[in-house]
Amino acid sequence: MSDVGMPRPEPTATPTASALQITGLRKAFGDKVAVDGIDLSVPSGSFFGLVGPNGAGKTTTLSMATGLLRPDAGRIEVLGVDVWSDPTHAKSLVGVLSDGISLFDRLTGEQLVTYHGLLNGMSRETTAQRVGDLLDLLDLRSAGGTLVVDYSAGMTKKVALACALVHAPRLLVLDEPFESVDPISAANIRDILHGYTQNGGTVIVSSHSMDLVQRMCDHVAVIASGRVLAAGTTDDVRAGSTLEDRFVELVGGRQHNEGPSWLRTS
Amino acid sequence: MVAHLLSLRWRVLLNGFKRSTWQIVAAVLGGLYGLGVLAAVVAGLVALAFAPERWAWTAGVLGGSLAVVGWVVVPFVARGYDQTLSVSKLRQFPLPADRLLVALFVTGLLGIPGIVTLVAALATTFSWVQHPLSAVLAPFCGVLGVFVCVAASRAVETATSALGAKRRYRELMSVAIFVPLILAGPLIGLVGQGLSSIGDDLPRVAHALSWSPLGAAWSIPGDVALGRPGEAALKALIALATLGVLLLLWRRGLATALVAPPAVTATAASKGLGPFARFPATPTGAVAARAAVYWLRDPRYGGSLIVVPLMPVLALFLSFSLETTWPLFAIGPAVAALLAITLAADVSYDGTAFAAHLSTGLAGSADRAGRVLTLSLFAVPAVVLATLVPLAVIGRVDAAPALLGVGLGLLLTGFGVSSVASALYLMPVPAAGESPFKSPPGASVTSALGLYASWAIVFVLSLPELALGVVALVQGSVLLGLVTLVVGVALGAVLMLVGIRRGGRLLDTRGPELLTRLRRARGA
Repeated sequence: MSDVGMPRPEPTATPTASALQITGLRKAFGDKVAVDGIDLSVPSGSFFGLVGPNGAGKTTTLSMATGLLRPDAGRIEVLGVDVWSDPTHAKSLVGVLSDGISLFDRLTGEQLVTYHGLLNGMSRETTAQRVGDLLDLLDLRSAGGTLVVDYSAGMTKKVALACALVHAPRLLVLDEPFESVDPISAANIRDILHGYTQNGGTVIVSSHSMDLVQRMCDHVAVIASGRVLAAGTTDDVRAGSTLEDRFVELVGGRQHNEGPSWLRTS
Repeated sequence: MVAHLLSLRWRVLLNGFKRSTWQIVAAVLGGLYGLGVLAAVVAGLVALAFAPERWAWTAGVLGGSLAVVGWVVVPFVARGYDQTLSVSKLRQFPLPADRLLVALFVTGLLGIPGIVTLVAALATTFSWVQHPLSAVLAPFCGVLGVFVCVAASRAVETATSALGAKRRYRELMSVAIFVPLILAGPLIGLVGQGLSSIGDDLPRVAHALSWSPLGAAWSIPGDVALGRPGEAALKALIALATLGVLLLLWRRGLATALVAPPAVTATAASKGLGPFARFPATPTGAVAARAAVYWLRDPRYGGSLIVVPLMPVLALFLSFSLETTWPLFAIGPAVAALLAITLAADVSYDGTAFAAHLSTGLAGSADRAGRVLTLSLFAVPAVVLATLVPLAVIGRVDAAPALLGVGLGLLLTGFGVSSVASALYLMPVPAAGESPFKSPPGASVTSALGLYASWAIVFVLSLPELALGVVALVQGSVLLGLVTLVVGVALGAVLMLVGIRRGGRLLDTRGPELLTRLRRARGA
């Protein structure tokens, strides 16, 4: 797997220790508090995993960090740029793959990635070159002329990833990027993301797959009920155990029963 | 097996009523209405027995032809309404095509529409009580006609069901089918108003139809009564041949559908970037290119345009029936008023895909300007043509400047107003991929009010050119007309720019809130 044509993150003028710094983040939907005072520091160049049970507030947190959802309170900085006071600058540094958001799926794959490139203010030539590279890299070249609405779920994820990468962001925020992606494509995407972090980029992924996060991420944060339960390097957080066991221990709620008797016919 | 499928069909129909009382109420009301119509038809057919034979023949041929057309067309509109016995559901059972054909034929015949048509067809017998031979032939011809109805409906449905799986075709049909529905008003008016004058034409229409597969079967008893046995024999041949061909076509389609499931085929891959290669490579150009693709590919956009070509038709109809040319003057401004607020639902059409604009940090004014740019590319020529062509036809080009001023003023003002409106509130619209005419859930009164309010604002802001235009037309002053043109274009352009700026700033500040509402609108 070569990383030929991989858009490399462009160096920033002022290198900061944190690619993403979240302090005191809060968000409530009516009575329901989705994010309840989250503090999180994502080191520059890290491959950061965000794990938590369903409804923990992962998507809400990532939406606020990327300027898609206005927080009730708290401060979010991307490479030292405040997301909510200088959104245009902050957004130019971030590539986003959102979960549960539709794409402009009446465009072909090639048109969609081109669209994202041009929206970011890139020139036609740069856009065309990077779109070609990304389609090759994500094995979408043959599907480039197909409407995105006709893509499979995994291909849709891949084209959304291409859209997030096309402007060579410094920080990639990926919400459930591996859902319904086949193992080979997932491995390819992992390679791409690793190459990206080695070149100084930072990746944040949210996932349900503890195995994947443990193997892939060097840093991890466990959140539940809108709070950070543990954060740090993956080795520190799992503390000698597997991430999955540690996660269950932290979050709780595991039930020990064997199901109804008729399910145990042998 | 035939009996099984027949009872299955009725069981499904009756079970449907168990789901809610209102469905029963609706069915009872619908049933009573249907029975009423049927009774009226039968009464009419009885009454025709005492009219000249020519009338009974004309009514029979026209009514029968209409029935055949209805049987073919209705399944298109209501596709997916009665899928109880669709081939795709029966495919998994080991059924030979011939048996299935018989079974589907019988269930089609003995469903509610089939029974209604059959009763009406048999009732044609009453029209010929004074002509014994025709009265004997009529029920057979009626049954033959109903057979043609059922066979034609099924054959066309089977033949197009494979096509129906193709999205582009489905999208096209779902829009195209509404053209006659929108035109139904004027057509009915035309028929009602001009029945006396076209009363003489009806027999001629009936004569033509009687030689076609549509009307042949229905014409036979009348031809016999009117002393044209030769014609009757030929038409019987036509009707039988029609039935045979339809059954063969249906049989073939059925056999293919049973073994080769119509796979949902993707649209053919297209090469290149399309509009993205032609619009300027700026964020604004990108938005415009994206909008252009959607205007071409998304039926929800095309659906909102469908009333535009109908405006001239309506205007022509009005000017004929009122015997005045003034509706022709109004075509351009009316098209402009319609196109002016089409952008008001644009963000709503985007749905959560709008997040792309938000997460790339696209400037709100670039978003607004791009959408306006694409619409103006065809809206401006449309308004100009809709104004100039009718005026040229009636030789009143002197009125062109005033009307162009009014039309373009309305259009440009509308661009500005809808740029602000679509950043302010969302319209409940059908989701991408749904029928453009499906009324979306939660279509609240407030949103509809928002739309009418923006329309009202467009007219208020365009008052200067509207007033000038009216005065210019009344006085017949070309000079005032030119003033109207200048004022309309200049004022409209200024309002458009202000609207784009304002709407853009609204998007910049309220984008995240708008996205939150878009998410909620989709239940996500």
